[in-house]
Amino acid sequence: MSEIIVADGVTKRFRQPKRYSGLAGAIKGLISREFTEVRAVEDISFTIRAGEAVGYLGPNGAGKSTMIKMMTGILVPTGGALSVLGRTPHEERMVNAREIGVVFGQRSQLWWDLPVHDSFELHRRIYDVPEARYRENLAHLTRMLGMESYLDRAVRQLSLGQRMRAEMAMALLHDPRILFLDEPTIGLDVVAKDAVRKFLTEVNRERGVTIILTTHDLQDIEEICPRLIMVDDGKLLFDGELKRLRTALGARRRLKLDFATDPGPVSLTSARLVSDEGASKHFLIENEETSLVDVLAELGGGHGLKDVSLEEPDIEEVIRTFYQQRPALVPQ
Amino acid sequence: MYAAFAANAFQTRLAYRNQAWSSFFGQLIQVFARIAIWMAVYAGVASVDGITLADMITYAILATAVMGVWDHALLMRDLDVAIKTGDVAVFLLKPLHYPLYLFAAHCGNLAFNTLAVVLPVTLIIGVTYGIQPPASAMHGASFLGFWALSFAIYFLLAMTCGLLAFWLMTAHSLEWFLTGIMALFSGSILPLWFFPPALAAVAQYLPFAWVAYYPTAVYLGKLEPAETGLILAIGLGWAAVLAAGVGLLWSRARHRIVVQGG
Repeated sequence: MSEIIVADGVTKRFRQPKRYSGLAGAIKGLISREFTEVRAVEDISFTIRAGEAVGYLGPNGAGKSTMIKMMTGILVPTGGALSVLGRTPHEERMVNAREIGVVFGQRSQLWWDLPVHDSFELHRRIYDVPEARYRENLAHLTRMLGMESYLDRAVRQLSLGQRMRAEMAMALLHDPRILFLDEPTIGLDVVAKDAVRKFLTEVNRERGVTIILTTHDLQDIEEICPRLIMVDDGKLLFDGELKRLRTALGARRRLKLDFATDPGPVSLTSARLVSDEGASKHFLIENEETSLVDVLAELGGGHGLKDVSLEEPDIEEVIRTFYQQRPALVPQ
Repeated sequence: MYAAFAANAFQTRLAYRNQAWSSFFGQLIQVFARIAIWMAVYAGVASVDGITLADMITYAILATAVMGVWDHALLMRDLDVAIKTGDVAVFLLKPLHYPLYLFAAHCGNLAFNTLAVVLPVTLIIGVTYGIQPPASAMHGASFLGFWALSFAIYFLLAMTCGLLAFWLMTAHSLEWFLTGIMALFSGSILPLWFFPPALAAVAQYLPFAWVAYYPTAVYLGKLEPAETGLILAIGLGWAAVLAAGVGLLWSRARHRIVVQGG
């Protein structure tokens, strides 16, 4: 498999005029020439091969969208080298645009007042998709995404879930080799999220389209992307398989035990007590192998246990754990 | 591809029929008001400087309805919203030229307005007060050429102001500025032949005059045939200069979007 995206020490800094608060500050802002520098992406390197599905993960403001914008050629890196399909994206924006598909979860590319079908037809003209190929793709995507019922409805009348499906279909109509998605599941309900994930997995496996997807939802990565690139604060934290991250971290789950009355101190070997509120006690399970059954067996009966809840670590927890253990883990 | 954008803009306007009705009535009242003023001015006078009342009625129809049917505010607001919300990035993602896209879309707008607003207004006023035919078939044909040039120049002027707003961050005041300038210098309200000589001497060379005054003057046969060719050439020159300006401003704006992220 060939390498189709190569990022080598990519850096992006924004200069923003300094703003001051209050009325006096507003006046000061008019004459001030001071800038604050925002480091959105800091020295990031990775390579992506054709046919991969990569999740680009990080909390809000981690520089995910900035990276996507650089790879699609609508932002110019401040430093480093970036190559997509052998080209520098911002220098050959038009050529690059024909070979990639882009979906923004928070920004529509469909024409708001037109029926979905008309947006697709416009897209065909913009990308010069041959008529026969267009029909074939449209029929296939409509079937896969179940869009038959709303193809002739105006985009503004669609639900968010329907719109996202239409956005993804449109981004694939011109047979792009790479599909970039910026938070495609944001704001969707569970059913719609599931539909999006299934579809993307299929597009990647069956059509061989390389997928790069940003998200702060760990579930997206688990279902679609075998490979994970994790960033925070503009810096690369982790690049590898999700499984490797989990094992490496021993991602901690939170366990909460609720008792009818305070049973007094409880100590377990399978879980570490983090806070004791008497009738409810919070534990952390650090070993990936430990199951809830193990914990309950160790606890045994007779404590008047009322309720148990076990939480999988969310992305913030994973990143927090990651930060704490970082020195031991940094690749290279 | 760009023809498809024009067709789509046209179709989009169909979706908002009430808007078409309100601009129809708005235009109708405007033209009526202009004609009422000229009728008051011409009360008891057959002609002023060789211009008759019938000339002025036709002038009001053409300069107000035909040339005034496209409004720069539409374009400037589109542009302002696209840049402020960052939607302009969506257009940068596609293999197309954004200013050309806007031009195509607004051609669709113009076609819609011409059919839905100009035609009925012209018919109603024409039946009520009478409209003069073009001075000759030749004048009629030149009018069509001038009319196309009028839209091109007006679009480019609006585009220039819209892009300047990107740096000056005052889309609203620039919009008012252009409205004021257009009202005076385009001749849409008062033809240049009634201007004080000193003002007319300047106004006749400014690009605004090609938007309303020259097309109407050509239609009415108020220009010398030899003069017409020269005026057309100057107008084309202005269009070229403005197009180059818009191209330059856009490439600067795009550069800033891709470097600064908007």
